[in-house]
Amino acid sequence: MRDLTQRLLAYEAFADKTSDPADSATLRVYEKLRQGLGEFAGVAAFHALAFRALTLARTEVPILSAVRVSADGSLHGLGEIEHRLDIDKVRAGEFPAGEGGIILIASLLGLLLLLLGETLTLRLLRDTWSGSALDDSISENGRKA
Amino acid sequence: MSTQDKVKINKLTTGVPGLDEIAGGGLPEFSFNIIAGAPGSGKTTLAHQFVFANATPERPALYFTVLGESTIKMLRYQQQYTFFDPAMLPDSVRFINLSQVVLEKDLGAVLEEITREVEKANPAVVVVDSFRTMVRKPESDMDLQSFIQRLALFLASWQATTFLIGEYAEEELRDNPIFTVADGLFWLRQTAERNSIVRKLQVIKLRGQDSVPGLHTFRITDAGVQAFSRTFGLTAHKRNPPSGRRLSFGIPELDKMLDGGVPEGDSILVAGSSGTGKSVLATQFIAEGTRQGEPGIIAVFEERPEAYALRATNLGLDLETPQKDGKLTILYLRPLDLSVDETMQSILDSVQKIGAKRLVIDSLAGFEMALSPGFRADFRESLYRMIFALTAIGVTILSTVEVDESFTEFPFSTYSISFLCDDIIRMRYVSIDGQLRKIMVVIKMRGGNHAKDIREYEITSKGVVILGKRLTNYQSLISGIPIHADRSALTEEPSLDTGIEHET
Repeated sequence: MRDLTQRLLAYEAFADKTSDPADSATLRVYEKLRQGLGEFAGVAAFHALAFRALTLARTEVPILSAVRVSADGSLHGLGEIEHRLDIDKVRAGEFPAGEGGIILIASLLGLLLLLLGETLTLRLLRDTWSGSALDDSISENGRKA
Repeated sequence: MSTQDKVKINKLTTGVPGLDEIAGGGLPEFSFNIIAGAPGSGKTTLAHQFVFANATPERPALYFTVLGESTIKMLRYQQQYTFFDPAMLPDSVRFINLSQVVLEKDLGAVLEEITREVEKANPAVVVVDSFRTMVRKPESDMDLQSFIQRLALFLASWQATTFLIGEYAEEELRDNPIFTVADGLFWLRQTAERNSIVRKLQVIKLRGQDSVPGLHTFRITDAGVQAFSRTFGLTAHKRNPPSGRRLSFGIPELDKMLDGGVPEGDSILVAGSSGTGKSVLATQFIAEGTRQGEPGIIAVFEERPEAYALRATNLGLDLETPQKDGKLTILYLRPLDLSVDETMQSILDSVQKIGAKRLVIDSLAGFEMALSPGFRADFRESLYRMIFALTAIGVTILSTVEVDESFTEFPFSTYSISFLCDDIIRMRYVSIDGQLRKIMVVIKMRGGNHAKDIREYEITSKGVVILGKRLTNYQSLISGIPIHADRSALTEEPSLDTGIEHET
């Protein structure tokens, strides 16, 4: 799942030039997931998934406890954490910049994979990202096949 | 108006095995339909089958989910069905959740949202699951009716075939204005009868279609909903005129008693108590058919096909070779929880698969016992429909039935099903000269003449063998305790007559 997350982040980073520079690739991936899954499953369903994903991610990256998911599913506080990690080099060694976001997105995708299965999850992601971002298939465990 | 002037309504497959037949050939294109029923009755699954059977990238399906139906959970389960093709998402099948609009706005906003998505996607199929949960606020029925009417008009104009799914109880069917708007109304029922669940489907209305009336059994398997038409899908077949052919049992004396054999397309009942040789006779009937190149089906309920075939081998009858050649199928049906219609559909499928000319049901008692209790009430009616449908296409059916032996009566069957049969052969034990022997008699042949003789027979290594001529020295043979005509000669063997009487 981490591989898929990093592919999506890399795709969004590449598209950075055309995006709002204030948004990180992580936030753009999250926002696209929110839009796509919100339309497909509803805002409430996305909120429930995102909240669960954040809870799971916090167990690996405690600093994410400062991040919040609002009722409409939008994410608050992730940008600030990443910015802080950039400044605090000691903590950055512990949690490299972007790691929290990667784990959060990976948790979210992992939940989708768990609930919908690999094929359906990828079909849904394909609706948001072009094939090139998702070209490599993933195994059931989220690793490259 | 001539036929040429009439608009041609295309029929879309429902994607539900058996339902096209029930709907009169499929679902009218651009129709506005409601699937109603209690929770868990299969409404969503039925709609999904329609969606996956008809959606294309050019004309996709839009599946709107509303409150109550979590899309993620719904798809988690729906993808388990074999009809569910993930590759069709999202280009051909698109799921859109309307919960937020419903929660925050009114029905007008919901209609606007649906309109927007339909204009964007130009779908061939639209599903709203469930439209009943859209009525969140205490609005009058008129509001929902108005919403439904506007939605129906809009979607028909956009050439979309629509399904609205709603949880309704039976009593809500009457005087509900919502249902008057719909072109089609499909009602799914699920009731518990003793330990069984009985699922029934009814097409309450379907405009412009000659749908099959009544309640049809359906089942939900890993392939989705499968419906079993009360007419077994044979409504399109014309009744074959009687061929006049006679089918041999391979027992010359019995064929003579039947005036040449069983008329093709008849339903014949072989009734007798346990051990009288009903199954042996049935096996000989099928074996003779396959020997003459007529494919056959044996539906067994009381023993396994291997044992049935082995018993035939012991009688010198080869059931193995025709099975290998695809000319004979032995169906082992111990359905337990299946409905009678499903079981009969299995028989029909096999008959049609190999083009069977002869069918043996061995036995009706086993058949009934194999059904779950909830379905036994339908047994005779369904049997009647199956026999009527199969004999109409020229299949000759031999059914065996166990009869409780009585020495005061001569019942034909315990099922009151003799009216279903054109011909009846009765086999029974009889006490003669200190021996328990066997006799048989042709009770009725609807098609014409038959011998009135009561004939003694034995079951030998060659099967049923009819002995000598008719028994003439005994009275009350059919009682099982005959009286010798000449009491002074009680120890003599019964004398045999050579004549065979025929009805004229």
